[in-house]
Amino acid sequence: MNEDLKKTLLNPIFKGNPITVLVLGICSSLAVTVQLKGACVMALSVIIVTGLSSFVVSLLRNSIPNRVRIIVQLVVVAMMVILVDQVLKAYAYSIDKQLSVYIGLIITNCIVMGRIEAFALGNKPIPSLLDGLANGAGYGMILIIVAFFRELLGSGTLFGLRVLPASYVPNNLVILPPMALIILGCIVWVQRSIQKDLQEK
Amino acid sequence: MAKNFFDKIRPTFSEGGKLSWLHSSFDAFETFFFVPNRVTRKGGTHVKDCVDLKRLLIIVVLAMVPALLFGIWNLGEQHSIVFGLGWGFWQKVWYGFVKIIPLYLISYIVGLGIEFASAQMKGHEVSEGYLVSGFIIPLIVPVDVPWWMLAIAVAFAVIIGKEVFGGTGMNIWNPALLARAFLFFSYPSKMSGDSVWVGGLSKALAGGTPWKGGEVVDALSGATPLSHASLDGLSAAGTSAWNLFLGNIPGAVGETSVIAILIGALILICTGVASWKIMCSSVLGALFVGWLGTVGGVTDIPCWEQLLMGGFAFGTVFMATDPVTSAQTETGKWIYGFLIGALCITVRLFNPGYPEGMMLAILLMNTFAPLIDHYVVSANINRRLKRAKTV
Amino acid sequence: MNTNNNVYTIVYTTIIVVVAAAILAIAAMALKPKQDANIKAETISQMLTAAGFASKEDLAKQGNDQVLAMYSANIKNAFLIDAEGNKTGELETEGSIELQDNLKQENKNIASGNPSLPVYVFEKDGAEVNVIPCYGAGLWGPIWGYIAFNADCTEILGAYFDHESETPGLGAKIKDEAWFREQFKGKKVNFSKPDDAFNIVKGGAPAGDDSAVDAITGATMTCNGLDAALDTWFKAYIPFLQKKAGSAAGDACCEDGCCEEGCDHEHNHEHNHQEG
Repeated sequence: MNEDLKKTLLNPIFKGNPITVLVLGICSSLAVTVQLKGACVMALSVIIVTGLSSFVVSLLRNSIPNRVRIIVQLVVVAMMVILVDQVLKAYAYSIDKQLSVYIGLIITNCIVMGRIEAFALGNKPIPSLLDGLANGAGYGMILIIVAFFRELLGSGTLFGLRVLPASYVPNNLVILPPMALIILGCIVWVQRSIQKDLQEK
Repeated sequence: MAKNFFDKIRPTFSEGGKLSWLHSSFDAFETFFFVPNRVTRKGGTHVKDCVDLKRLLIIVVLAMVPALLFGIWNLGEQHSIVFGLGWGFWQKVWYGFVKIIPLYLISYIVGLGIEFASAQMKGHEVSEGYLVSGFIIPLIVPVDVPWWMLAIAVAFAVIIGKEVFGGTGMNIWNPALLARAFLFFSYPSKMSGDSVWVGGLSKALAGGTPWKGGEVVDALSGATPLSHASLDGLSAAGTSAWNLFLGNIPGAVGETSVIAILIGALILICTGVASWKIMCSSVLGALFVGWLGTVGGVTDIPCWEQLLMGGFAFGTVFMATDPVTSAQTETGKWIYGFLIGALCITVRLFNPGYPEGMMLAILLMNTFAPLIDHYVVSANINRRLKRAKTV
Repeated sequence: MNTNNNVYTIVYTTIIVVVAAAILAIAAMALKPKQDANIKAETISQMLTAAGFASKEDLAKQGNDQVLAMYSANIKNAFLIDAEGNKTGELETEGSIELQDNLKQENKNIASGNPSLPVYVFEKDGAEVNVIPCYGAGLWGPIWGYIAFNADCTEILGAYFDHESETPGLGAKIKDEAWFREQFKGKKVNFSKPDDAFNIVKGGAPAGDDSAVDAITGATMTCNGLDAALDTWFKAYIPFLQKKAGSAAGDACCEDGCCEEGCDHEHNHEHNHQEG
């Protein structure tokens, strides 16, 4: 694998993470991180949507009329999202019920449109696919970390299995959205103390 | 003598000394006991004032003492009533004292521990802001709150509410309220409901402990006036406005007695430590919305009685006026206070899910205080510009 | 090629949209049966849980087919009733199972006095179990549930509640907390007070009250909503439940004290109905 592709693939995971560095897609990370299982499915869905829609848009990139390119991109993204939603409804109903509207809201996730505009429109399909997948993965990783703490502290379970002793009193605040933001903030804090160049003066 | 002791050990902590890395802790203790060594140099123009931050904070703490003392007695009183013990005065005081001391120990050990640790890490001086927050926290939480929960809440409030913003003076929200909000949202079963506000009651209910008199059911239905906020509810619970004013009702330690809080308010206003504008406007705001509520038929409680209920008085006097988190401009203070009062009553009237609106109202307005200031200042600038132009 | 002229733009977008629509339509059609089956299985597993055949967790682990098979194996019949408690139609229970699961619509119909309410009659250990739904507003969104009665509808055998968006850890406990559901067992619907036939009491149900359970601490609004939902739906079902009670009690009517005065009358009424 050549250097460029490697960078495309690895950069969004840590150094250029869409959530902690670009601060995109915060809203959904608040809503779907109460349970690890839901967060994993959401992460997977976003990876698929970002990857495939970047790929498709990159295929079409030379033929898209510039004036309507956002609309065309939206059509592609919306199609992917609805497909994912339909598949989940059919094959993972209980999780789809838990994620409810948030699968549909992947459309509004800035990461998807952001990567299409920033990368897929100017690159060949394969790198675009990788870029989309990697950004989705970077997003998913944060989602899963946040969900790990929220489910552990908020319910004393992981993937629905009890890991903390029954005497543990679940913390309800962790289940409420504000705590997702605070955990996110702590992750950003940790990352910036490792990566000094991200610190703002 | 203590002064000599500090002078003697100072070299150890000053630069180059053996324990120089602890100098900020040393500084903190020394200035806590004495006026700082560093005095503004003579010759420059400065306002003559012997009030430094610590003295200021001590006045606030002193102002809360009446509420605390009353609260201690009231703890025993409520316990004695509910369990039908018929205790004497000193027994009640002793019960309250034993109940409240651990809360203070936890509040100060955890809070100051974190303050000291973070000051050491950053090489700052330890700031004394926590003295007041630590004093408030035990006054506004249910007396039976499990100790570990209190410890977590204090740690959360100090770290997330204060240290991440840069410590005392930089925080957006009142740390004491943040601790209470944390408890309220994290462990709602320990923070709301009818049984949490009387010492020993929830434990007795959970354990099925037998008690004398068997009046617990009666006391239950009358436990928190806020949870049945209507005149019928109040009179059914046997709580009159006079009880609310006096404070011999179940509730958080420092919040029940309006009289004791008024004494504190008097101290604060006379010494000029807290802004009377905020207190006034908050009362006005509450009266206004309370009046709208009665006119609109939402509630049958006269608006003035709203002032006596729940944590309104305590919040207005001691927490809304926190100089760090309140509005700084004079006009801003009026707006800020008014909105706190109005919001508090609005929450009480329309959101039965969260019966205590004061905490939420103050935290929300804390958030908006800088915005209010911003608009007040820019309005001022515009006015002056206009004047300058017309001249 | 100039991709910016109008004709190109219009043709291009048209093609894109048509292609996307076609893909989605195919996907939707292909997945629709599976999705409907999921919804049906979910509803049925709530009923089975209420009736005490299995726990919701176990049913969730099983496939849809097992759930449907369990339903078909245990159901005796399912039918619709009107506001007077008279049977108006049958629901298919074998093969393609029919459910009356548009509870939101029925909730409106109850208010307008013209409902078409489902009753699902299961057979468990040789005895009938009647399952009826309820539906109402919680704090943030709809709440609903299924309540199972014994053969003569005088005693509740079990209940299951679900919700769309109640607060986790507070209102959501109506679904999550087993103890809350358990308290419904052995309770009765108070036929003599049709407007307030069941109560969820904050601070604990009074001892000896057969038609009340304890509310959940910190979830007052959700419990009030559930209380209202139960009152509304029980009221709508009371004519039916009373008939059942009357007919099943039959000769042993006044033994259990369920019917002080209206017993014979109810019995006759049921009798007439069967003739007519």
